[in-house]
Amino acid sequence: MTKLAIENFSFRYRDSGPDELSQITWTPAAGSFNLLIGASGSGKSTLLKAMTGLLPQFGGTVTSGEITLDDLPIATVAPFERAKRVALLFQNPNRQFAMATPLEQITFALENIQAPAADIPHQVDEALATIGITALANQNLITLSGGEKQKVALATILALGSDYILLDEPFANVDPHARHELMHLLKQLQMHHGKTIIVADHDFSGYPDLIDTVYQLVDHQLTQTDASVLSANTGVDPLFPAPSRNALSPLALDDVSIDMAGRPLIESATFALPAGQLGLLSGVNGSGKSTLFAAITHQRPYRGLLHWDGQDSQKIKMKRWAQTVGLVFQDAMDQFVALTVADELALSQKHTRLPDYWTTARIEQTLDQLNLTPHTEANVYQLSGGQQKKLQVLSMLIMSQPVLLLDEPLAGLDTVSMQHVLDLIQTSIQANHISALMISHQRIGLADYVDYEIHLQGHHLIMGGAQ
Amino acid sequence: MTFNPSVLLIILLGIGFPMAFTQSITANVVVCVLALLYLMLHHANLKTIGLVTLISLPLALGTGWSFIAFGTGDVWLQAWLQVSRLFAYLFLGMSLTLTTPVKDMLMSFVLHLHLSPTFAYGLLAAFNLLPRIQRQVKTIRYSANLRGMTYHLWQPQLYFKAILSAIQWSDDLAQGMASHGFSEGFPRTMTYQDTLPKWQWLVAGILIIGYVGMSFFI
Repeated sequence: MTKLAIENFSFRYRDSGPDELSQITWTPAAGSFNLLIGASGSGKSTLLKAMTGLLPQFGGTVTSGEITLDDLPIATVAPFERAKRVALLFQNPNRQFAMATPLEQITFALENIQAPAADIPHQVDEALATIGITALANQNLITLSGGEKQKVALATILALGSDYILLDEPFANVDPHARHELMHLLKQLQMHHGKTIIVADHDFSGYPDLIDTVYQLVDHQLTQTDASVLSANTGVDPLFPAPSRNALSPLALDDVSIDMAGRPLIESATFALPAGQLGLLSGVNGSGKSTLFAAITHQRPYRGLLHWDGQDSQKIKMKRWAQTVGLVFQDAMDQFVALTVADELALSQKHTRLPDYWTTARIEQTLDQLNLTPHTEANVYQLSGGQQKKLQVLSMLIMSQPVLLLDEPLAGLDTVSMQHVLDLIQTSIQANHISALMISHQRIGLADYVDYEIHLQGHHLIMGGAQ
Repeated sequence: MTFNPSVLLIILLGIGFPMAFTQSITANVVVCVLALLYLMLHHANLKTIGLVTLISLPLALGTGWSFIAFGTGDVWLQAWLQVSRLFAYLFLGMSLTLTTPVKDMLMSFVLHLHLSPTFAYGLLAAFNLLPRIQRQVKTIRYSANLRGMTYHLWQPQLYFKAILSAIQWSDDLAQGMASHGFSEGFPRTMTYQDTLPKWQWLVAGILIIGYVGMSFFI
């Protein structure tokens, strides 16, 4: 049995400054199922990557202690020897495959660990069968759903024979049904194959029955906590009313359905966006919130009708539609078109629909409120995650499209910044009668800002917060 | 008769290099005919061959015309030489790329021509990323639309952002490969096997020497 041990380990990405992980000591019990929790940015991914030896190989510095694999410092173990003992399943299922099909990917992994060529076909078949994806063996990975991709990743790890299976928010792009299936697969791997499982996750549902121990990262340090924290976290969220049926914006969905990988994701969605209000679009990961935004912005196909002022929106040219419905991307990197903060804002100011409202004085004042003034000459790619979010929201608010869709604009923001961003959104949409709809996993602190809620559940839009 | 991709590559280079200097239209036409025959024999996609030929036709005409209009000496001979050379290169290239999947090609080079596996798998991963890059380009153009701008396909800003994304992806991919055990500089099992009988090298040699002989002495 392999032994993975963390001794007084500290790590940071930058050359100087505070550690991202501070003095962590942990020897996961062999054959146990562990849940790793902590706020976003608390260092869960960093810890998991360090435990697989990917850090500091791909950046950063160890400032104290070490991680050992069978009593050898993990950095001195070659990747193919590490992979046989400890493997990591990544958060983004799109970025972990080098090959085109599951069969090729698992074969590639087995070749890396120098498995005898004659045994490889049999080992591949066995791994695919254990996870139940034999039928997918020769399908192109690009055509698979998020859940299927994670199953392929799991089959690869199984074929490698790793004793430790580490998973970094593996269900973030996976629908609830597949999530349930994958969690039970993991439990079986623990029970029947003696694997040690460590999962980092934000969503605690389903875990209490599966796990042995919970570890929490707070202030860069790791502590073992009681499983009761998993249930204590629910039930304090505010609920919001259904959207009003008066004072509607010109945007309306009429029987809109969206398919994902051949299966229905959203069925017959019908609603009209209220004018001048901020709505919350809620629903678990994978329920189709971002996909709905992609349909409304004409970035993916849908069935049914999307009206603008009674007219079929498909008749409106893309360039004009982008000036009608704005989108704050989930990934800030997708939003930016200029290099510096000042250029980014100047561009929005040049093309804004409301030049009288977004005067230079108002923009400067807003920058000050958001604590971005010292960074105006900074490169947008070097800002922190929170600063990027603030800049992103501000540049889209300046554009002032009549409808604004915001995909997780509060992710990675601390409480104070979150308030500033929400204040800014509220002030500018009310002053300019903009209809805004926001996706947010964060509910606490929204009570004073959100006017209504639409909940996406079981392929349907439910008006008003779910109970 | 199917050549091993490595042998085909050597034939391509062996004929392609002297072709840059040769003055023989006959030799180029023979190359075109042989390459086309090889393509037919391996049921290469006729539509692709037709499309490639069609796209390069205006280029061939342009090259030929410029020699006729601005050349000195026997301008017609020079024009035909350039046109035949262009198509000879084109058909030679297709005889490898249209008969062999990218993966088999790279694996064969690793096996027989000492291509580094890191390079081969890096290239293979890049090929598998192409559809995702197309999607990212669409997102970049949309993000410009959102800000009241239009990025056309000839604008460098579009590619600057695409390169930034690609750098991010390449790091993710390297981590993914390392976590699946890929180790630079260590031996690994090769399940890819192909046949490379010695006579193929002999045929390659004959073809190359034959081309050189034909182009310089006929």
